[in-house]
Amino acid sequence: MREKSLMIVGLNHATAPVELREKLAFEPAELAGAARRLRAQAAVDEAAIVSTCNRVEVVAVARDTEAALDGLKRFLLGERRSSAPARADGCLYAHVGAEAVRHLFRVAASLDSLVVGEPQILGQLKDSYVAAREAGAVGAVLHRLFHRSFAVAKRVRTETGIGSGTVSVSSIAVGLARRIFDRLDDKTVLLIGSGKMGELLVRYMQRSGARSLMVTNRTFESAVRLADEFRGNPVRFEDFPRYLKLADLVVGCTAAPQVILRAELVADALRERKQQAMFFIDLGVPRNFDARINELDNAYLYNIDDLKAVAQENLQEREQEAVKAEALVREEVASFLRWLDSLEQVPVIVALREKFEEIRRRELDKSLGSSLKGVREEERQAIEDMTAAIINKILHAPITRLKQQGEEAEEGLYADALKKLFGLEPKHKPFP
Amino acid sequence: MESFFLKATAVLYLIATAAFILYLLVPRKSTARGSLLVLSSGYLLHTLAVVVFSTREGFPAVAQTREALSVYSWLLVGVYLLAQIKYRLTALGAVIGPLAFLMCFSAFAFGSAGGELPPALKTYWLPVHVTFAFLGNAVFALAFGVSLIYLFQDYQLKHKRVPAVTLLFPSLETLDRLNYTFLVWGFPLMTLGILTGTLWAGMGWGSGWSWDPRLIFSALTWLLYGGLIHGRLTAGLKGRKAALLTVVGFVVVLGYFLWGDTVFPTRHAGRFE
Repeated sequence: MREKSLMIVGLNHATAPVELREKLAFEPAELAGAARRLRAQAAVDEAAIVSTCNRVEVVAVARDTEAALDGLKRFLLGERRSSAPARADGCLYAHVGAEAVRHLFRVAASLDSLVVGEPQILGQLKDSYVAAREAGAVGAVLHRLFHRSFAVAKRVRTETGIGSGTVSVSSIAVGLARRIFDRLDDKTVLLIGSGKMGELLVRYMQRSGARSLMVTNRTFESAVRLADEFRGNPVRFEDFPRYLKLADLVVGCTAAPQVILRAELVADALRERKQQAMFFIDLGVPRNFDARINELDNAYLYNIDDLKAVAQENLQEREQEAVKAEALVREEVASFLRWLDSLEQVPVIVALREKFEEIRRRELDKSLGSSLKGVREEERQAIEDMTAAIINKILHAPITRLKQQGEEAEEGLYADALKKLFGLEPKHKPFP
Repeated sequence: MESFFLKATAVLYLIATAAFILYLLVPRKSTARGSLLVLSSGYLLHTLAVVVFSTREGFPAVAQTREALSVYSWLLVGVYLLAQIKYRLTALGAVIGPLAFLMCFSAFAFGSAGGELPPALKTYWLPVHVTFAFLGNAVFALAFGVSLIYLFQDYQLKHKRVPAVTLLFPSLETLDRLNYTFLVWGFPLMTLGILTGTLWAGMGWGSGWSWDPRLIFSALTWLLYGGLIHGRLTAGLKGRKAALLTVVGFVVVLGYFLWGDTVFPTRHAGRFE
């Protein structure tokens, strides 16, 4: 019915493996050029490319839907230097019209992300839009579509808790540390062991402000190496109990088969540091720290399973919030479609008015030339006004109805009926 | 008239309580501002009630239990609003709001109103003594509030739970520091309250100390808070235990304040024989 339609063709983390996504992805610097090439396709009026490590998509406004979809698919698969594997075609999805709008809004709101609620996608979408605009590939529809999608993302973020709670082990540990400690920059971290996760966590802590670090390990050399890497102080393994009282955060990540830190030792340390709180993070499997540490006042012990449980909880919370977000997206899609429809109604309204005006003019001229010949100027003016008023009165109801039509179920029904009943041929392009 | 103001105040404190709870459930800037606004409006009305009563009676409105409760909650909300300006403790409103409401409400429900003030009490000692004693206890109420939040937060962390509401609370470290700050402010005020009371009693009743239940309770709580501060400074009495003691101490004080006079009738209470 619409002579032009909105469409999205692409693949994402759910439909395509990472190797394929990598092959098809665009570098940020390539985005503008690719959008320009797309725009050059005969059927395509507007185009933008969204490319992240989790998705490669083409958003377009085109006239001949079928031909354009075909062109977009060929563009996605053929554009890349490395020839895409044959099965790539099966990984592609295509959304047209309302579905396309919904898809982009969901992507912007991070509902379609691998980690639902992650915030990066909005920035990536903005980059895509800017690149396409610079390439001159964005028209009124995509302009509005993208701006609405940014607004939707913002609404979802502020009106639902979808971005709340972190889901990585390191960020959860640091989040917990912030519940215990006011600030991290005056705290000391003690890292025991050289496991990968421990390193990751300590790096995250340092980025979160922690400055003072002690590192210990059974082999002193690797403690020295790690301490160098993190600009911390190496401590001999047999000495670390003596330094324990200095540590506010203690990270354990060794492959030791037995517990290396007993609760008694921690109780002593707490006494010596006058009950200043201590946070123990046990990343070791099997456990590095005595579970009874958690029973001591002002000592908090979390092991890797505890942290993962919190992550799981946060994920579930996000999923619940996502339901609210979906409702919000539906609302926004409906509102966008109304705008799109109102664009389309305009030509019908203009044609209808022109048709009626033409009839009025013709009949009026005819009468003024014969039966009404010789009326005075003011009488002629009165007749003009009256006929114009009649037409306005007749057209008032149908035009009002047409303008509201986007909100009704029978989309485009009236416009079609009017075109047929009055033999309207819009002179304007139906889609600006 | 002041009774109408006081009732309206109680209603506003109740709305503020609901608003603070709403803030905990829906933590937005709007809910935070809204609850503080309602509490502040209640406070203004409350000020009016206290002033109107005191001018009419010609002496500070603290003699009868009803007025005493009203003035105490008035000081409590005032101290909280001051602390809010300095420390941004909106979540603490969820403790202070209900406390203030409960006291205003109790003022009607349990307090005897009016009554002529015996000439013995019509001295400037009364406002001075009562102001210090109440102000000290109002600051302890803040210590109680942050300690309550501390215990909640501590419990959640120990049990590996992180409900969203805990994000609104300050860290344990901050809460513990605030506990100390409020104790250190409240203690001298309480001490001054007891000192002025002793001096006054020495002149009025002929002896500074008597084995009056209220005096015994005051002495006990004074020792408790004093011991708490001492323990904090020297023995590493920190975190959970300090919070627990603060809460217990305040509950005892509050309990005595509300019901002590009924259980242990004394000349110190709102009855003058």
